[in-house]
Amino acid sequence: MNFTETDEQVALRAAVADLGRKYGYAYFTRQARTGGRLTELWQEAGALGFIGVNLPAEYGGGGAGLYELSIVLEELAAAGCGLLMMVVSPAICGTILARFGTPEQKQRWLPKIASGSAIMAFGITEPDAGSNAHKLTTVATRDGDSWVLTGRKIYISGVDEAEAVLIVGRTADSKTGTLRPALFAVPTDAPGFSFQPLEMDVLMPEKQHLLFLDEVRLPADALVGEEGAALLQLFAGLNPERIMASAMAVGSARYALAKAVGYAKERTVWSVPIGAHQGLAHPLAQVKIELELARLMMQKAAVLYDAGDDMAAGEAANMAKYAAAEASIRVVDQAIQSLGGSSMTSEVGLAAMLANVRTTRIAPVSREMILNFVAQHSLGLPKSY
Amino acid sequence: MNIVVLVKQVPDTWSERRLRADDSTLDRDAADAVINELDDYAIEEGLRLQEAHGGEVTIVSMGPQKAADAIRKALSMGADKAVHVTDEALRGSDGLVTSAVLASVLGRTGFDLVILGSESTDARMGTLAAMLAERLGVPQMSFASKVETDGSKITIHRQADYGYDTVEGALPAVVSVVEKINEPRYPSFKGIMAAKKKPVETLSLADLGMDASQAGLAASATQVVSFANRPPRAAGTIVTDEGDGGAKAAEFLASRKFI
Ligand SMILES: Cc1cc2nc3c(=O)[nH]c(=O)nc-3n(C[C@H](O)[C@H](O)[C@H](O)COP(=O)(O)OP(=O)(O)OC[C@H]3O[C@@H](n4cnc5c(N)ncnc54)[C@H](O)[C@@H]3O)c2cc1C
Repeated sequence: MNFTETDEQVALRAAVADLGRKYGYAYFTRQARTGGRLTELWQEAGALGFIGVNLPAEYGGGGAGLYELSIVLEELAAAGCGLLMMVVSPAICGTILARFGTPEQKQRWLPKIASGSAIMAFGITEPDAGSNAHKLTTVATRDGDSWVLTGRKIYISGVDEAEAVLIVGRTADSKTGTLRPALFAVPTDAPGFSFQPLEMDVLMPEKQHLLFLDEVRLPADALVGEEGAALLQLFAGLNPERIMASAMAVGSARYALAKAVGYAKERTVWSVPIGAHQGLAHPLAQVKIELELARLMMQKAAVLYDAGDDMAAGEAANMAKYAAAEASIRVVDQAIQSLGGSSMTSEVGLAAMLANVRTTRIAPVSREMILNFVAQHSLGLPKSY
Repeated sequence: MNIVVLVKQVPDTWSERRLRADDSTLDRDAADAVINELDDYAIEEGLRLQEAHGGEVTIVSMGPQKAADAIRKALSMGADKAVHVTDEALRGSDGLVTSAVLASVLGRTGFDLVILGSESTDARMGTLAAMLAERLGVPQMSFASKVETDGSKITIHRQADYGYDTVEGALPAVVSVVEKINEPRYPSFKGIMAAKKKPVETLSLADLGMDASQAGLAASATQVVSFANRPPRAAGTIVTDEGDGGAKAAEFLASRKFI
């Protein structure tokens, strides 16, 4: 086992941190509050090869792994400007396409996703199927050479910025009629496809949307991978999603903790800096430990994933997402306490960050569903649903 | 064009920096080591001149083993190769010794243009360019905010309080740059991966034909005789605004010679 990053990983961290510093949390909150996007940062990161570090070199990616991709997102988030769409475009969609796409599909999408010139969103959640993917009602039917897709999706991030959405639908088995999941790359300008933004109370530049698929007609090659194997493919994409969601939460928590520590060293209310009071120092030390533990599990998951052990990576990725959500919520909450009243100002923006990290306990998969997974798969306990 | 960029690893300006209690030299273990900020600009300028005129960019750095990190960063930005002079005997070397060592390296690499930052954030002497030019017997073009060359002649904007002077000279030359000159690039992921395959030549004093007695603290003409830590930050003055807040603020600024 090895806990030392390579020279290249260290250099990547430093380069991304430098880029992140140029933008920072002020940029992030300004764009979010004014309805702007993080386009300049996205494009600059893309041009430097950071967005697609995990994608195959032959398709314009960096040829490295998810570990490197998680470095990129963690460092940007630690600078205050995490890119949510990195969880989706290169991590979920890029991974699924690279592993299961046809050569034509790879050629069409991967170079754009890697360079950041195109974003691919990901839509699985439906109004009546969130945690329970068995209830998905978006159905694809075969019509000659085409697929016809009908259904609705909700909370889908970044559709307004995306060139396509990877939609999780279901196809009917021609013999048995049972529905099996299938993945489709749906261009956002396809006839019959429409979307509207949802009013959200989380302060992030990436908007969530309601999607309507009304008999969207797609060519045969819009189906990514094989019809029957979609479940496996889905899981191949969801492990990177969980690891990247952890990276985003861990990075944001690092930002908040650094802010709190900086303040606690300077601010003097009585005769010593407030950081000298154990009432503040110990909780900060505690959340620092919790954060490092979460980060360690995230790194373990990424290493296992890159080693090709999908099963072990699955358990670690779920545990990492759980731990990163819990740790980041506690860190930001304690940072808020440390900064007192100023934490609630828009300038400091920690109250807004609390809502953002709080989301990690729900999305992309809820805390309860992770506990269900661990109870059933790691502990072998019986199921209630 | 044969372009050489000088790079120095320094303690991070944002971290707390200390001198060693035993010999008053910089405590390099006390702070994170980073590439000297102005050197990023020097590297960038070297790379831009290479893009315009062809040739090679060589990084030269004198420093402890750890300075390899600064060299790697320069290579990841796009430089072609590097020379790292490292020797225990160099510890504590002042500007004069450093310039002698670097001049000796430059004698080996050859150069059309030597580019360096106008000062390092640790020592802040800003004299290396002059010492080097003198030792090499070539013109010094200092504080450049713009560099142009046709391969034989070089023209710079030399930054001054009142704007800039246009200074012209012949190559080979030594040019020191200021922040205004460009916006340094970030290392790309490709650049980071490529850096590991680029040649780095490591030289000791002996390799340069120099003796340990010619280097380090003992051979240096300048030494820190004594130093005092910066006093802890005192509490600020709170001025209650009784209609004259503006005047009081101006008074304070004037007393500190800010206005
Ligand atoms: C900011 C944001 C961005 C998002 N972006 C995307 C996106 O890009 N693409 C996408 O597809 N989705 C996205 N989502 C949706 C997200 O993945 C879902 O909200 C999440 O999966 C939970 O589903 P749900 O909201 O339907 O909750 P539900 O499934 O309705 O669950 C409600 C509550 O019940 C609990 N619960 C459900 N079943 C059980 C059980 N068996 N045992 C115990 N507790 C249970 C859950 O844990 C949860 O607490 C986003 C959501 C947010 C908030």
